[in-house]
Amino acid sequence: MKKWFALAAVIAVAAVVPLLLNPTGYWIRVLTFTLLFAAMAQAWNLIGGLANQTSLGHAAFFGIGAYTSTILLLKFGISPWLGMFAAGALGGLAALVIAIPTLRLQGHYFALATLAFGEVMRVIANVWTPLTGGPGGLSVPFTPPSFAAYSFKQLLPHAYIALAALIIVTAIFEFIRRGAMGYRLRAIRENQAAAEVIGIDTTKVKLQTAVISGALMAMLGTLYAQVAVFFDPDTVFSAAAISIRVALIAILGGVGTAAGPILGALFIIPVEELMNDLFSAGAAGLSQLIFGAILIAVILWRPRGFITLWDSLRARFARGEARR
Amino acid sequence: MSKMSPRAGLSRRSLLAGSASLLAAPMIGSAAHADAKPVNIGVIMPLSGANAQFGINSRNGIELVADEINAAGGVKALGGAKINLIVADSTSTPTTAGTVAQRLISQNEVTGILGAFASSLTIAISEVTERRDIPLLTMSFADQITGRGFKNIFQVVAKASVLGKAQLDYTLAIAQAAGAKIDKIAIMYEDTAYGTAQANGLRAAAKAANVEIAMDDAYPLGITDTTPLINKLRASGAQAVFPVSYLNDSLLIIRTMRQQRITMPAIGGAAGYVIPDFEKGLGEFAEGVLSIAPANYDLAPDLTERFRKRFGYFMVHEALEHAVALDVLVQAIEKAKSAKAEDVAAALRGAKFTGGWTKAMTGGAVQFDATGLNVLSVPVMVQWRNKELVTVWPKDVAKGTAEWKT
Repeated sequence: MKKWFALAAVIAVAAVVPLLLNPTGYWIRVLTFTLLFAAMAQAWNLIGGLANQTSLGHAAFFGIGAYTSTILLLKFGISPWLGMFAAGALGGLAALVIAIPTLRLQGHYFALATLAFGEVMRVIANVWTPLTGGPGGLSVPFTPPSFAAYSFKQLLPHAYIALAALIIVTAIFEFIRRGAMGYRLRAIRENQAAAEVIGIDTTKVKLQTAVISGALMAMLGTLYAQVAVFFDPDTVFSAAAISIRVALIAILGGVGTAAGPILGALFIIPVEELMNDLFSAGAAGLSQLIFGAILIAVILWRPRGFITLWDSLRARFARGEARR
Repeated sequence: MSKMSPRAGLSRRSLLAGSASLLAAPMIGSAAHADAKPVNIGVIMPLSGANAQFGINSRNGIELVADEINAAGGVKALGGAKINLIVADSTSTPTTAGTVAQRLISQNEVTGILGAFASSLTIAISEVTERRDIPLLTMSFADQITGRGFKNIFQVVAKASVLGKAQLDYTLAIAQAAGAKIDKIAIMYEDTAYGTAQANGLRAAAKAANVEIAMDDAYPLGITDTTPLINKLRASGAQAVFPVSYLNDSLLIIRTMRQQRITMPAIGGAAGYVIPDFEKGLGEFAEGVLSIAPANYDLAPDLTERFRKRFGYFMVHEALEHAVALDVLVQAIEKAKSAKAEDVAAALRGAKFTGGWTKAMTGGAVQFDATGLNVLSVPVMVQWRNKELVTVWPKDVAKGTAEWKT
């Protein structure tokens, strides 16, 4: 009961924050991307956290989503709201196709195979010019503002859409984690051989997780395309800017927990922006260097993620209680 | 409020105060002159990542002009307001470039933005500036930049397709002047927006001139071994090669060619072929390499030598064009007598700018058409001669004759 109350309070605060920011300003854009990256990291968390398969290729699904809805919009005038579901279907399909051969791989081999898949998608988007616009990228046309057409003059609606997306993806994550599938995934994570012995179809469970994760990531790609308005293959299929970043956000926050990706995104995206704001007028590349140094320091300080901060705080509090 | 009755009329004290303030008025005026509100101008460049060197070159060019304008008394129409540059790193991600633009607009209230060298970054910024009515001046080449019907974008150089066409046409003309004839060429380009757009221009020009393309290869940015490309080039029987690339691959291509003793003329596509690092990386192999360029420093040495004096290397074209962009922007502010972005954009649209740094451009001035393209800019062909770039074509602006060896 108390837990639900706290959750409602957090959501209420999150719903008020966008109203306090300039609706055409800078921080609302940062907030929107923070929420989007939190949702993306949460989608990654399904396969990376629950199934313990570190994917470094989630940009593939993300980019498929961005391209699917934007191409449908440009060529057939289909609203990105519908395009988003087509994106999810294609993203899930791509996840299935890539998961069948790669999920048999473990640890580093799985990470490398997914990394390669992301790169393959980037190359395809680069050369398939008639469909994707090639290296020149795609621009989402600026149509008269309307909710049905998913077109807004201000960023405020985008911030709320991103918030809704984060809540939905987090709810899916929690639903799976607490359900039977979550138990199966945990069993696989602890000991795959033992899980098979007790009758879990490990391949099937992992496949299901991969497909859900890929489909959600692709749908978020659509949202991203609508906010960023312009993207090219290097942006949405980027290993560093998408694949590794979502994994980093989840890992830094606390992998396998619902709060982890949110904490990670709330830290990484604004801090990166702040470093750019403070230091990019100085020596070239300084802001990125400082950002990198901060990341290293944080990971050394909290190797298991920000979520452990909460645990240790609670432990200290409990000790205090006991002493009293 | 004052307790004095309104009927008090002119007291001696208020008369004194009034005349004193009259006397002081011009002083207040001049005080306001001295610290007129500075004009914020955004500079968004890739200062980290693969294109950092180009971003730094561009920033240097802009800083040079800003300092000169400030030293000469700032913006006269705004009471000597100083130019205040807000420099920001776009990194190499378009989305970040867009976010940075949003920041400069809403937090620094910039009058205009200059940037961002790479076409994809510029396009991402333009999506933000267009929605906020902020003028964006750029020297990025891509045709899309002024091809989308945007009202607040201004491209000071010729488009990629025009550069690609000139790269081929000028080469044919140079060869002809040297008594040679080209009927077979090779094209290789990196698969970026810039590489593909310029390759399209090359291809169209070759078709129009009835020249056979014996090799037409795209390769990924960041290629580490160009030997297969060069082997293919050798087998193609081409008489000249047109590589379009940024720096690292340009070094690899020319070095591998020359090491394999392939001496056919190489005509680069600007970017990596026209910066000092090209000569530093290749040494004697750089000598005689041709390249198309949107502008060159030897056309206006009186202006560009100031850059060399301050930064220690010749004024590369991106620095030069960004210098021109800032000069034009400040001229527009003078003309609009306002630092409001909309007024300045209106002053830029369809206008012609002369004098100052615009003299360094081909055409000797800058004139924007309705799409924002500078219609006066004509590409030039340059050639590496003894560590310097010499303009060798078109004939009316050339500073030297092209060396053509086959």
